[in-house]
Amino acid sequence: MALPIRILTAVPICDGHDSAINTINLEFIRHGIEVVYLGFHRYVSDIVRAAIQEDVAAIGISSYNGGHIDFFADVVSKLQKKGANDVAVFGGGGGTITHDDARQMKRKGVDEIFFAGTSLTEMAEYVKKHYGKKKKRRIRSMPDLMLARKLTELEEAAGKKTKHRTSNTEHRISKVIGFTGPGGAGKTTLIDELVLRFLQRDSKTRIAVLSHDPSVIGEGALLGDRATMINSQDERVFMRSMATRGQAGGLSPATESCLALLAHSGFDYVIIETVGTGQEALPFRNKLVDQTVLVMNPDYGARLQLQKIVMLDVADIVVVNKTDLERAKAALSEIEQRLTQNKRKQEIVATVAKRHRDPGVDELFELITAKENNR
Amino acid sequence: MSKLGAVVEAVEKHASFVLEQVKRARSDEKFAQAVTERWNKVKAEIPIAKAPTGLPLPRLALPEIDEPGEIARYLFGDGLPGEFPYLNGAYREIYLEPLREIETGSYGNRKSPNGDSHNGAGRVSRAKIPERPARPPLQEEPTRLFSGLMLAEDTNKRFHFLSAHQRSKRLSTAFDGPTLYGIDSDADGVFGKIGEGGVAVDTVEDMVRLYDGFELGAPNFSASMTISGPAPIIMAMYIAAAKRRFGAKVVPNLRGTIQADIFKEVQAQNETIFPTEASLRFLCDMIEWTTANMPRWYPVSISGYHIGEAGSTPVQQAAYTLSNGFAYAEMLSARGVPIDQFAPRLSFFLDCGLDVEYIALARVSRKIWAIGMRDVFGANARGQMFKLHTQTSGRSLIAAEFKNNLTRTAAELMLAYMNATNSCHSNSADEPFTTPSEEWIRLAAHGQAILLEESGIFKHTMNMLSGSPGMKAVERAVEKAILDEFREIESLGGVLAAVENRYQRSQIQNAAHRYEQQIYDGTRPIVGLNRYRNGADEMPEIELVRTPRAKQKLQVERLKKFKKKNAEKSKRVLDKLGAVVDRGENCFPALLEAVEVCSLGQITGRLQEIVGRFRPMV
Repeated sequence: MALPIRILTAVPICDGHDSAINTINLEFIRHGIEVVYLGFHRYVSDIVRAAIQEDVAAIGISSYNGGHIDFFADVVSKLQKKGANDVAVFGGGGGTITHDDARQMKRKGVDEIFFAGTSLTEMAEYVKKHYGKKKKRRIRSMPDLMLARKLTELEEAAGKKTKHRTSNTEHRISKVIGFTGPGGAGKTTLIDELVLRFLQRDSKTRIAVLSHDPSVIGEGALLGDRATMINSQDERVFMRSMATRGQAGGLSPATESCLALLAHSGFDYVIIETVGTGQEALPFRNKLVDQTVLVMNPDYGARLQLQKIVMLDVADIVVVNKTDLERAKAALSEIEQRLTQNKRKQEIVATVAKRHRDPGVDELFELITAKENNR
Repeated sequence: MSKLGAVVEAVEKHASFVLEQVKRARSDEKFAQAVTERWNKVKAEIPIAKAPTGLPLPRLALPEIDEPGEIARYLFGDGLPGEFPYLNGAYREIYLEPLREIETGSYGNRKSPNGDSHNGAGRVSRAKIPERPARPPLQEEPTRLFSGLMLAEDTNKRFHFLSAHQRSKRLSTAFDGPTLYGIDSDADGVFGKIGEGGVAVDTVEDMVRLYDGFELGAPNFSASMTISGPAPIIMAMYIAAAKRRFGAKVVPNLRGTIQADIFKEVQAQNETIFPTEASLRFLCDMIEWTTANMPRWYPVSISGYHIGEAGSTPVQQAAYTLSNGFAYAEMLSARGVPIDQFAPRLSFFLDCGLDVEYIALARVSRKIWAIGMRDVFGANARGQMFKLHTQTSGRSLIAAEFKNNLTRTAAELMLAYMNATNSCHSNSADEPFTTPSEEWIRLAAHGQAILLEESGIFKHTMNMLSGSPGMKAVERAVEKAILDEFREIESLGGVLAAVENRYQRSQIQNAAHRYEQQIYDGTRPIVGLNRYRNGADEMPEIELVRTPRAKQKLQVERLKKFKKKNAEKSKRVLDKLGAVVDRGENCFPALLEAVEVCSLGQITGRLQEIVGRFRPMV
């Protein structure tokens, strides 16, 4: 089965009009397209970096706040500068982009502008028709570009079920940390807050983040983690969003091989985030990661539910996030008690990841960076 | 339970109170007599005035009822205009022509004040009454047109053009993207956006230029500023600019509104720059300061407009707006700001589109607000009034065959006036393409004048279109739906918790998606788009308002000069501001100091270092 088309969508800087793009994203997904959504109020540099790292075929930009001629042209030229001139750029802006503007924008390298009144299906069909064929890319010595392309090849190989050589975990350069937990526990926010601390502590640290969103084989998916990660939009962070493409358990068929590649690519830390998992999930097997962090929400229900969460047996660190909620105190003591049954050293950390400079996240950061020395 | 749950209970309790009054009026003779007497007195006091055709009409229309139960239902359940629960209007007479000539006599056909019995419509004893009625109507036109383009001096020129023919100067300011996001014009990546879609304001000097030539402290001047994320900083700049021009004594006289509504930004409009809790704190700092020092200023305009424009249903719009308002009231009360200091300074802003709910949406909102504020928060009468600005729906305007937009806006204006909005903005027909050009702005403004001044629909009689059986049916359905939404939000832990769980956002997004689907499958007819389309899809030639590159460069240069001039001082005041924020004190006085020497972006940047940046929700 052919792999889904991957595109990136975003709304320009100083523009919060995301109503149109939200609707269009849903329509793209319905047509089997994987959409990496970068969100609104996005800088050109963030859009271009994300497009390269995610190895998308095209960038769709929805602009309603003016300045589109400059903005679109800037995206095209920055792509070229980074050697990614095969990434197409298209977009729209209801009635704010005139036909005259569109002609200028096309002259500057934009593929297509959709005007008000274009049906959603028309747009999705356009994307399928024009961005479905893989373009040949002459890879120059741009590290992000090469890495991104190799990750795509690994995903393609996993899709074809061809056995790919996985590297030996023993000789990894990077420390690999796995984050898992139920949906809505705040994993993405927590990771983004940790990234901020990594970047601030050492001006040379480089991080890779591999995040997962669920999808069914051959169908589209919305990969939206990047949109909420404000600190990870940085030259020293390589992010890749993966759809699970039908695999159960919280990861994608290509996770293992992609991870092996990332762990040898010069990053100090590689962070994997699973999709929101259920009670029985054990996503990180075979020493896939060096350290596992289970992120929980205090609202897990009755105490009895804790007995059923298998990850509580194996996680190195259990984070109880959102401890500003009323139930947090009870949750913390119940989880602590549950962990003592395991009779092994497990850490428990209480965080409020949404809070800037949260001391709980600081504590988690120390735990992660301290254990690094044990490797 | 948050206060929202208590509001639901209060509205239900009020409904049963009204029913009890109805029953009592039907069983208790004394009460029935008192109710009937009040009714007759009200009717007797209604003056009769003549339309230009000579037709005598009462200044207030009331239902044709004489049964005490029904009278009680009307007086307690709906209330006269300007009376609790304000269903028919927060004030009396808002659109009525000044009363120069009246027919003495009354609307009621029982006893007139001077004792003789007559048919109210028939008497013709003419009397001049003094120039000033109790509340001078139309001293302030309800017209308030949103405007902002290019640089401060360009918008200033537009302001003078717009207000030239107005007795009162009511300016409404739109800011450009960088300003709305608290970013300076010289920031990386914003060139091209400077002065687009609104005016570029980076410094207090821009603010001085923006309102040049207007008497900021005059009783007939008011400024409205549509900005929320960096609102406290922009508010401080406005005050600083006013002080530079008129001295410190002008501050208590400043009149106007700043939008500052953080909740709706997080729920719908996405122009937030600090994390929600920090934004709310800065907002409350500002409200606390302005309500104490600027008693004529409205420091927050609780806005459903952007919720509606982002695609919500009308009921969602009203429910989220009201619940956001109650949440602000709860936060300010918790801070210890006296209810009667801030409640009268809360104002509202709703969208008005073409869906049937808009026949009564604002009416019902006014009633729920009044009951909640009186019975849950203990606000006085001025604090119970839902003071409303309405804007016709931008989303309902389309590019195809855009002149139809004039008709759409006219119909929406009609609905807005039927809801007794206190002020109104009518959109220009060319809005789907661009910042409105002068030709279409004039037509939009004239639409209001035609309805209010030229036509006799609203100027002779209050309640002219209120209370039809259809309107009542919509009121009941809308009220029930709003209360259901309140219950849902309450079950999620109240407004803030629901916001953090992105409840309102996802509800709005779902509604938006459905709306689009309905347009594409034709179940939602849009003339010129999915119905009666003429095939020619070319956009009409219209005058585009774009900011020339030279102007954008000028703005950047001015800003750089300002920064250079104030380099040393700015560092000191920013440190002071940072310390104040860190200590958890009210930061508004420190902001007032900071804006004298710092740019918007410098202040935003420092605050973000301390409280963090907003993390977008998808």
